Amino acid sequence: MMELHDLTVKFGGVTALNAVGAQFTKPINGIIGPNGAGKTTAMNVISGFLTCTGSIRHDGDEIGKLPAHKRTRWGLRRSFQREQIADDLTIEENLRVILDVLPMSAAQKRADMDRALEATGLADRAGEQAAGLATFDRRLVDIARCLVGKPRVIMFDEAGGGMSREETERLGHVLARIPDLTDAITLVIDHDVDLIRAICSDTLVLDFGKRIAFGPTDEVLDDPRVKAAYLGIGETA
Amino acid sequence: MDLLKPTRSGTVGIVFAVLGFVFLPILASGQWQQILTSATCFTLAASGVAFMYARLNMVSLGQVALMGVGGWVMLRMNHWLDLPFEVNLAVAGAVTMAFGWVLALPALRMRGLYLALITLMAAGGLEVIFSTFRFPNGGEGFWGVMPSVAAPFRRPVIAESDGAYLRYVIAVTLLGFLVIEAHRRMAPGRAWAMIRKSEAAALASGVNITYYKAWAFGLAGLLAGVAGGLLAGGLGLLDAATFRASESIMLFALAVVGGARLWLGVVIAGVLYRVLPALFNNWSLDADLTLVIFGAALLHALITAPDGLSGQIFGLFGKGRRS
Repeated sequence: MMELHDLTVKFGGVTALNAVGAQFTKPINGIIGPNGAGKTTAMNVISGFLTCTGSIRHDGDEIGKLPAHKRTRWGLRRSFQREQIADDLTIEENLRVILDVLPMSAAQKRADMDRALEATGLADRAGEQAAGLATFDRRLVDIARCLVGKPRVIMFDEAGGGMSREETERLGHVLARIPDLTDAITLVIDHDVDLIRAICSDTLVLDFGKRIAFGPTDEVLDDPRVKAAYLGIGETA
Repeated sequence: MDLLKPTRSGTVGIVFAVLGFVFLPILASGQWQQILTSATCFTLAASGVAFMYARLNMVSLGQVALMGVGGWVMLRMNHWLDLPFEVNLAVAGAVTMAFGWVLALPALRMRGLYLALITLMAAGGLEVIFSTFRFPNGGEGFWGVMPSVAAPFRRPVIAESDGAYLRYVIAVTLLGFLVIEAHRRMAPGRAWAMIRKSEAAALASGVNITYYKAWAFGLAGLLAGVAGGLLAGGLGLLDAATFRASESIMLFALAVVGGARLWLGVVIAGVLYRVLPALFNNWSLDADLTLVIFGAALLHALITAPDGLSGQIFGLFGKGRRS
């Protein structure tokens, strides 16, 4: 179980996250909200890129006090809205860099990489230089990076952003397989409600930095407050 | 990438070094052997500043000053203790590496222009120290400076003549290049690539940014220290004017002109830095004219050749092969 408790982030006079809390117990969970709701801020707080008050726990481990790079070593993985893979490296090396700092044998690392590459359909192209990859393939590398090194929490920040319908579906299939590949709790941030509905069991909805709903995805998406937030109108009776 | 798997560019580089090792001392006369030795030393130093720029996008403008530190330690050791050349060289490299780390401490949290400026200020500080206290030449005391004559310098037992010493320096420089390449293929190289992409990407990969940046500074310092030590061995004594802060800027600029990503670019930087002015002197031209050429070449590289002259040369051969 992953628990966010009372997360608050302030940038000067602006409160980007306001006492947000949630308990994620399902394998794949969504975080949605309109632009500026605080989704990426929440992800950056969990990653350790931003400081906050409150706590972040996973099965009893308090990870909110760890520096960012140690959270990755602990088992936190994330992708970015704009993928962050190194052009200088091959696909395989982009995965290996995460494994370099983990206490696993060479054979375990090899098997781990092969599994991640297989799951994302990149196994035949592991030696290709990342600089020459198309946008969707770069996104797949970003996802493969999240699968290596026994992840405990995986976060995808708008992994489907800018993708075609066909690519988003393919992405959805890859994300939906994550519970078979790892024991991690996965958090998916996306604007694509169809994708969230298709793969996420529970969903947290943020608006103006506050939690406005959390629970089973279908129920949350039917919540009038959520519809109102997305449509930018007052709550309907 | 397999640690020992040769790339095409790497194979060409090793062949180039072997040809230089065999033929340069034969083809070059006495004075030119010294000039080529000096050029090779600066090539080794340039490799440090080039890998930091190419792999981490960090601009360090203190490399020639760090060479001065290595040279100072080398001369100090030579005139103080009766140790073999290689031991003195190792000490010079180690001390300069530590010096590089100390200089890097305030720079580790800086990027871009600020990092460049702080390394330049450090180079300026070293320039003042070198000008004030000069380089040891066998005198008494800590600074070891005596007026006029200098005590003799002991070269390696296997390389006492100028020609043999040139071969020695080429071999050490090749070793330096191989150390950089080994780093590129192992965990530090991958960590540096992520840092270069973005610090967020590095953190999300579990990379300790401070540690790996310090490692890069240390490696660049080691290469500069060894290069300075070798330069001291080539000339027997050193002059503070060689290590002015402006020389560090010049060496970095020439690494950009040559192409910081490729071994050939670093060799071009060393050749332009030392051989071209010597050629101009030979042709009775003002050596300062090289500055005009360097300026034009830098503009050319910045505008049209992101991988410098070496990128264009390798590109031409690639095109030839394809057609």
